[in-house]
This record gives sequence, structure tokens and C-alpha cells, in this order.
Amino acid sequence: MSRERAASVDVSALPSAAFGHRAITWWGTLGFMTAEGLTLVVCVVAYIYVQRNFPRWPPPGTLLPSITIPLIQLAVMLLSIPAMAWTSRAARRLDLRGARVGMVLSGIFAVAFCVLRWFEFRALNTRWDSTAYGSAAWAVLVAHSTLLVTQVFESSTMAAILYLGPVEPKHFGDVDDSCLYWYFLTGGWILLSLLVFFSPRLHQ
Amino acid sequence: MTATASGQAPASLRHALHETWADRPGLIGWLMSVDHKSIGKRYVITAFAFFLLGGLEAAVMRMQLARPENHVVGPDLYDQLFTMHGTTMMFLFAVPVMTAMGLYLVPLMIGSRDVAFPRLNAYGYYAYLIGGLFLYTGFFLGSGPDAGWFAYTPLSGPEFGIGKRMDIWAQTVTFTEIAGIIAAIEIIVTVFKQRAPGMSLNRMPLFVWSMLVMAFMILFAMPWIAVDSQFLAMDRLMQTQFFNQAEGGDALLWQHLFWFFGHPEVYIIFIPALGYVSTIISTFTRREVFGYPAMVGALIVTGFLGFALWVHHMFVTSIPQIGESFFTAASAMIAIPTGVQFFCWIATIWEGRPRFQTPFLFMLGFFLVFIIGGLSGVMVASVPFDSQVHDTFFIVAHLHYVLIGGAVFPLWGAFYYWFPKFTGRMLGETLGRWNFALFFIGVNVAFFPMHLLGLHGMPRRVYTYIAETGWGSLNLLATLGAVTIAISVIVFLVNVARTLAARPNAPDDPWETSSTLEWAVSSPPPPYNFAELPVVEGRYALWDRSAVQPVVTGLRTDQRELLITTLLDAEPDHRHRTPEPTIWPLLAALATGTTFIALVYTPWAMVIGAVLIAAPLVAWGWPRPRPGDPIVAGGAS
Repeated sequence: MSRERAASVDVSALPSAAFGHRAITWWGTLGFMTAEGLTLVVCVVAYIYVQRNFPRWPPPGTLLPSITIPLIQLAVMLLSIPAMAWTSRAARRLDLRGARVGMVLSGIFAVAFCVLRWFEFRALNTRWDSTAYGSAAWAVLVAHSTLLVTQVFESSTMAAILYLGPVEPKHFGDVDDSCLYWYFLTGGWILLSLLVFFSPRLHQ
Repeated sequence: MTATASGQAPASLRHALHETWADRPGLIGWLMSVDHKSIGKRYVITAFAFFLLGGLEAAVMRMQLARPENHVVGPDLYDQLFTMHGTTMMFLFAVPVMTAMGLYLVPLMIGSRDVAFPRLNAYGYYAYLIGGLFLYTGFFLGSGPDAGWFAYTPLSGPEFGIGKRMDIWAQTVTFTEIAGIIAAIEIIVTVFKQRAPGMSLNRMPLFVWSMLVMAFMILFAMPWIAVDSQFLAMDRLMQTQFFNQAEGGDALLWQHLFWFFGHPEVYIIFIPALGYVSTIISTFTRREVFGYPAMVGALIVTGFLGFALWVHHMFVTSIPQIGESFFTAASAMIAIPTGVQFFCWIATIWEGRPRFQTPFLFMLGFFLVFIIGGLSGVMVASVPFDSQVHDTFFIVAHLHYVLIGGAVFPLWGAFYYWFPKFTGRMLGETLGRWNFALFFIGVNVAFFPMHLLGLHGMPRRVYTYIAETGWGSLNLLATLGAVTIAISVIVFLVNVARTLAARPNAPDDPWETSSTLEWAVSSPPPPYNFAELPVVEGRYALWDRSAVQPVVTGLRTDQRELLITTLLDAEPDHRHRTPEPTIWPLLAALATGTTFIALVYTPWAMVIGAVLIAAPLVAWGWPRPRPGDPIVAGGAS
């Protein structure tokens, strides 16, 4: 091709939405997952760092965390993961009905997580102002809880958009990204729960 | 002469794009703007205003220290001044101004029409502005923070930090971290997914590489201080015990978390500056930067190593000796990638034909001043030396040589270089040379004597000293240097004022030898940036392009559409509809601001604030399709 006759690139036939790593919203979600994930990591670092200041863990006079409610929470979270995987597949095949059901389900799950979280705070068996142990354990739960509350907002808003419309093709991508975030939210909690509720038993 | 990407476009196309992309007129239209150029300029102007305030605080401190037992200010105000100065310069000036330059220039430089998430971008700016105003409102009302910019506990904690001073500091930091993380995500996604066809990663301008590395560093560093400052706020407000040694907390936890952010912060400021240097040197020597792969590699290595140095700020705490050795080695090692870049720049200048205009002069200033700061950095990387000079004026000298040399000189050069692109007007060359000369002399006269003062034992952060110490004459010299810096800043302001009062005079590329895409469009650029997105044919987009620039066609003109391309090779992938201007990011930022400010007084603000913030966010995200948009269901908007 001569330099004077350089061809143009016609993009008019390209699609107006995409899923997964092709979409910028997926990358944006990944970015926020990184930042939010690091806030959880910092809380974990604080939790582990202050352990060295205590002869026993939890500190003498502090009860071990109860594990019944955390176990229920973990079970509900594990149950939610296939539901969201199903929602993701529905979104990718542009199945509006499936996406709607999936987002309502995610909203219900997210509210259930929050209710169970309330009882998880009580299951810690310590106050935030008692010792650095209590502060750090509460910090882990509070940091993750802010993400849960955000998810309730996200799920309910997405469900409202899908039911009340107008729904655009890009919203299926948003539903798909919401599922990606869900895996981070629940998968992250499995690790945090093991640390805060179960690991103190290893010190006994 | 080759045609520009915008120059070939028919007037009808430009008119249609202008209708679609221009902001609405009037104040409301201004407040609704989500144009990356408008937001970028506001960021730069706001950051520069904070730079002036931080400079004034420094000037008052220098007046106080000009002679022994001076009484310009007392100890309490002095404590507030040095804390405000550090906080302002690090959190409200340096990082925001660097991200701002990226938010303005990156979309232009990669051949796109906007950043990835324009509304989020506007929100980030307003969050930053509110945070800065909050800090200064507190300061002017007598509640300026007073525990230093790194706010060590227990001094900043509930036991010693009086009133609401450090609570205001902690919340200001949170605001700026939110803005920083948002800007980082904007830059990463924009660079990854919006590069013009043909701009594969190995053709990306070094400026864009530097912004990408900076953005990743922000993303991985800022969450640490965001959480750390919230721990501090909670210790103060809710009696948590994170830093209370009596209840198993740890003051050193604060330092670790702070410096795990704080040291990368230095590179977050420095790395974008490296991008300015490479760009400006290339333009003013009229040649490609020597060793492009080595330069990119050095930027990335610097980014990684920046996270492995934080403990060198804590050598005088109870760090195990093996740890000290590791961090000494890591601190010395970072000189290697920096050295690689310096040699590449020297080779570039050596083989080029340098034009000694103002932007290039600032690059030469950068070389000299930063090298001194870098070398004193290698000195303090050594534990025995650091133990001697820790918390003395030697450190003050070192950090100012590094930050002013490594960031402010390149930034000032960048202002002169890109000012015509921002405003359509060239800054005056004569005043520019005066600006440079006075600044160069002022910085060295102000800060070099501080090395000696530190070696003579003068501690930092003391509001006065007695005559018998013998520190008076060197302090007076440093103050004269500060006055010289102040005069150079005034010269710059006069230059800007005179230039803005004149008629626009800048063509697309006033420097005539620029190689990056922002110079292919008018000065200042139109709202849509490129009437036809260019197809990039080489690493130096304007030097390597064909006589007739190949362009992208087929993007809609009646909607704000971006072209999304693949990550590695920038091949066209799909079209993305980007949102219209709206007032909701501003309202959401105000709601966030109200919540965070109320959090200084009560933790319940979080509950009320969640509702307050949710409402504008729903309005922000609710779809409002335009005629012709594909609708799957619904439609009653």
C-alpha cells in the first residue's frame, strides 16, 4: 500500500458491548476489587501484627469466638456461588429473565449475609474497644461488612434497572461484572472467616 | 508537511461531534462537566493553589528560623505549619497534580476521546477538592493538624493529639486516597483498553508508560494509608486500641502501614516526572529516546522496588538487623534503574540537537538537583549514617532535593511544555528563563545548607534554636534561598497572567518537533479530542505516520462513543457508549464529604451517610438512553 493511499479502519460493524476482559467495566471492577481487597489485607496484617503483643490469643480473659453463626454464613456464601455462576451465564447469553432472577437472588443473598454478619459481630465475643485483639477482629468484620452493604445496594439497583428499565445491552455486562465481584466478596470472606473465627482455636 | 488527524476531518463531522461532546453552557454546565480535559485542568489548578498555600507555610517557617530565638510564630502554630506544609505538598499537591496531568494528557496521547469512566473521574476530583477545603477550614479555624505529615502515634493518638486536629487530618487523607485510587483505575483502564489502533504496548509513549506504572503504584499503596488513617480515626473516636501499647496495640504498626504507603508515594510522585523528562528531552533534542526497552523496564522495576524500601524510614526503631541489611540493600538497589534512565537520557541528548528552551532547562535542573538528592539517599540508606542524621535537617535537605529535583523541576518543565496545549497560548520565554534560573538558585541556596545544619546536629521540627548553636548563619542563608524560590514562583504567576491575558497564539504543535498524539489536535483540543481517531504506525506517532494519516471511521457522531481495543496489540474490539455530563457525581461527592466530615464527630454518620450517598449514586447510574440506542426491555425513562 502506498503511503498516500493509507486505508482507514472502519469500526461501524463492531459490537456495542462486550463481556469479561474485553469490557472496560470488567477492568474497572477488577481495579476496585484490588483496592478493596487490599483494605482487607491491611486489616489482616494488623490482626497478625498485634498477636505478638499478647502471651495468649485471644488474650487472657477473652472468650474464643463462637463458630456456629460463622459456619452458617460460610454455608450460605458457598450456596450463593453457583447461583451467581448461573446468573453470569444467563447474562452472557443476554437472557433478561435469567439476569433479573439472578439479581433478585443476589439481593436476597446479600441481605442474608448482612443479617448473619450482625450475629457474627456478636459471635466474636469481644468488643472493639477491649484490646487490640478486639479492635483488629472487629476491623476485619467491619471492612468486609462495608462491601456487603455496598453489594446490597448494587444488587437492588441492578434488579430495579432490569425490571423497570430501560435495559440496554451493556447492562448484561454489568450483571456479569457483578458476579465477578461476588466471587471476590464471598471467596475473600472464606479466608477472613478462617482467620478471625477459626484460627484462634489453633492457639489453644 | 503531513496532515493532522483532525485537520483532514470535514467541517460537518466536527460540527456533529461538537454538538455531541461539548459541555452545556453556563455554571450548571460547568459543574456537570465530565470531560477529562476540564476535570484535568481543574485538578491542576486546584493542586497548584494548594502548592502556593504549602509554599506560604514554608515561607513562614523559614522566616521563623531565619535567626535564633525568633518570634514570628510560636511553637504550636509552628507545629501546625510543618504538618500542614507536608500534608499539603504530599497529599494535596504532588500526587493530585501528577494524576491530573495523566488524566488530561493520557487520552490525548493514546488517541482516545475520554477516560474510561468520566463520571467517576469528576467524582474523584470533587472528593479531593472537598478534602482539601476541609483541611484548610480546620487550619484557619485553629484546628490545623500538628503531629507531622506522617502523624506518628502516640503523638497523633487520643492521648496526645488534642481536639479534632488529627481527626481532620485523618479524614482529609481518606478523601485524597479515594480520589487517588479513582484516578489510578481511570488511568489503568484507559491505557489498557482505549489506545488507538496500532498503538501496541511496545509503541506506547514513555509518558504513558510512566503514568501506567504510577497508577499501579497508587492502586497498591493507597489502600494501606486509607485503612491506617481510619484505624487512627477509630482509636481517637471509638476507643479502639490499634496503637495503644497498654492494650496490646502497637505504635510501630502505624509506622509500618504508613510507610508501606509512604515510600511508594515518593515514587508515585517521581515516576510520572520521569515520563515528562523522556517526552521533553525527546522533543527538544529532536530524536528518539535512547534505549526504549531499557527505559520501560527501568520504570517497571522502580515501581516494584518502591514497595521494598519502606523500612528505611524506620531504621532507628527496633528493626531486626537482618531486616536493616535487606532494606539497606534494596534502598541502594533502586539507584540502578534510575541510573539506567539517566544514562539513556544522556545518550539521547548526546546524539541529539538540544534546543535550550525553558522546558528543556528545567530538565537540566532536574538532572543536577535530583542527582544530589539521589546520592544523599544512597547515604541515608546506610543504617549507621541514617542513625546519625535521622530527624535532623539533613533529612529535610535530602527529601527536598529528591522531591523538588525529582518531581517539581520536571513538573515545571511540563507546565511550560504543555501549557500551549492546555490554553492555546505559549508562556513567555524570557520570564520562563528567569523563572528557571531563580528557582534553580533558590532551591540550592535554600536546601543545600540544610545538609550542613543536619550534620551539625540541628533537629527538624524545632520552632527555634539558641544563638550558641552556631546554626544562625546557615539558617539565614536557607531563608534567603526560600525568598528566591518565592520570587521565582511570582515570576511564574506573572508569566501565566500575562499569557492568559494575550490572544491565543499556539498552533497544533508550537514546538514543531513533538512526537506524541496530543500535538496532532488543536491547542486547546476540541471537546471530542480527535475528529477521526488516528491509526498509529510507530512508536513515535507523529514522526512515524504516513503522509496521509490513516484514521478510524464508523464511530457514531450523535452519541459519545469510545473505541475499545485489545490490551496488547490495540486492535479494534468494540464500541463503548460513554455517559453524558451530569450533576450527580458532584452531589454524590458532596454527600460523601458530608458523611466523612460528620464522621469526625460521630460514628453514626456512617449509617446516615450510607443513605445520603446511595440516593445520588442511583440517579447517577440510572440509564437514560438517547434516541437510536439499542433497548432490550423497558423504555419508560
